[in-house]
Amino acid sequence: MPLSAVKAIAKGQNGVGAFILQCKRLDFHYCDWAGSSKGMNAFIKTFLPKFAKQNPQIEITISPRPRKHPVIKGHYINGREKAICVRNMTSELVLEKATLLRDASGEKLKRVNKPVQSMNESVRGIWSPHHGARYQI
Amino acid sequence: LTHYRLGKNLPGSGNFVLCSLSALKLNTTAHIPKMTPPIIAVLDFQFPGFEYHPPAGDQTCFGYLQRCRVRIQRWGSQFLASRASPRLSCPCQTLFHHPSFPQQTHNRRPQSTQATRLPPLSDFLEPSQSEPTPSIPPEPESLPSPPPSAALSSAKLAALHARLSLPPRFPLQTLARTLIHQSADPNPAFNNSSLSQLGTNLLGYYTAEHLMCHYPRLPMSVLFAAQAAYVGPQALAQICKEWGVESVAEPGGEVDPGLLQFRSIPAGASLPSTSQGAKTGRPNAERSHWNTSTTSKIIYDDQFGSPQPPPTPSTSSPNRHELQPPVPLETASASFIRALIGATYLHCGAPTTHRFYTSHFLSRHLSLPSLFDFRIPTRDLSRLCAREGFEPPVARLESETGRKSRHPVFVVGVYSGADKLGEGTGASLNEARVRASAAALKSWYLYRPLEVCVPSAVEVGMGQGGGKGKWRPNLVDLGEVIT
Repeated sequence: MPLSAVKAIAKGQNGVGAFILQCKRLDFHYCDWAGSSKGMNAFIKTFLPKFAKQNPQIEITISPRPRKHPVIKGHYINGREKAICVRNMTSELVLEKATLLRDASGEKLKRVNKPVQSMNESVRGIWSPHHGARYQI
Repeated sequence: LTHYRLGKNLPGSGNFVLCSLSALKLNTTAHIPKMTPPIIAVLDFQFPGFEYHPPAGDQTCFGYLQRCRVRIQRWGSQFLASRASPRLSCPCQTLFHHPSFPQQTHNRRPQSTQATRLPPLSDFLEPSQSEPTPSIPPEPESLPSPPPSAALSSAKLAALHARLSLPPRFPLQTLARTLIHQSADPNPAFNNSSLSQLGTNLLGYYTAEHLMCHYPRLPMSVLFAAQAAYVGPQALAQICKEWGVESVAEPGGEVDPGLLQFRSIPAGASLPSTSQGAKTGRPNAERSHWNTSTTSKIIYDDQFGSPQPPPTPSTSSPNRHELQPPVPLETASASFIRALIGATYLHCGAPTTHRFYTSHFLSRHLSLPSLFDFRIPTRDLSRLCAREGFEPPVARLESETGRKSRHPVFVVGVYSGADKLGEGTGASLNEARVRASAAALKSWYLYRPLEVCVPSAVEVGMGQGGGKGKWRPNLVDLGEVIT
């Protein structure tokens, strides 16, 4: 055979075509006894229905976690989880934390030093010593 | 209170304690009075029958299922008259549910945030009041897959529907059906085998027309590889993971309808495709050491050039109760995505399906130049130039450095007359020449016309450039060079 092919899989580019929200599930754990859970309880009663309606692609679970601080756990598509303890926070702050978890991907927090990250090579090309007017064959 | 040194050979002996004499002398034990525990049940799922469950993920462990089964039997004896009742065959009929049993079957484990209350017991004390033939839904554990009515109360399913931005016309019940592989439920009315068949054809059609119209000169082997890279089983399994679809530990009627249901093949078992042997329908199929040519792959094999068994009468009409063999996760994931495309086509029509395909599959990045693997590119380029009537290719050294050193760099260009066909660099003159020929061949095979008219767009009426539904013929190439 003069020519054979290399097996590969096309790489996904989230957002180029369709966008898949990376946060697939949020668990809200509250406590009826702990004072630190006051904000979380208020959040569940006031803000959570609207938050859930605005984000239909997230599966939201509410369950009591007795005698513990309130916590929000986010489960992401890459299999990782992120938990934020929302003890002693007001309901507005809890909403902020829920929004933070929703907007995050499951990747670990990484510092980005370069301004541009791209799969394509540079438009003008990188300078080469072997090409140019100097070289005539 | 005075200090005493405790005597006797007991724990605490020899220690100084500050206490009263009566405390040391009197033998008393603390008596905890018997009292009923205070009612701490506040929320719906804290009442008996609805105990607190950990969030889903632990729901599918077997011990939990055992406990729940026993509890349901105790509850069920009160008001369930008969257990055995056939599953309704038409999904539309299940939308009408009995008023005495509003979503009772899946309420046993409140995986969604709502746990609806049980109806008061008085409803069940006089069963004669209800309809003459009350259709009591069967126990979910006895079914191989969850009933379609359970789809309306699954949070996972609704989240998946929204995550994929499926149109509202696409019902949740069908989405639940696409997640059921035939190994979980052999009944073709409830599994995704028929939808998957339609979806396989649609995906193959859209991908093949995209590749063939945009890259008319692509060689057949690269075309097969590109097809598999976009819609092959491994690619679909990867897409399924990226969509956040979880799978069950074991399929059954009580699982969440939003999970991918299939019977998983045990570790170390042989795959079903290899067990069938070399039954491909081509002549001399039993001579496995014979090469299969590209033409025979086009005729006898599937859209990826992989061997597939010819359709037999038994597979075309499977028995409803015949248990299907377990499959790997990749097969089940691929069947889900294909069934989803098929269902989108049926519910929403061709334009929506094509848009869904373009946004989810064609948006993925595939580097076609990296799929090529040449044997002797210099010979192939020479034959190609002879076929096309170009001047024979000549390699010319354009630039070099470090000829006598450990790492020389030679830049070679391949010319046909005065036209440069390709360029390559290498650590030796021969390597650079070979790379240049390969680059020249790639530039030929990866030719891409600027304006392309795709057949499915014309069918649907979304023709680009030529007006609505106007067909402009595309380039059909002679084929790859034969050496």
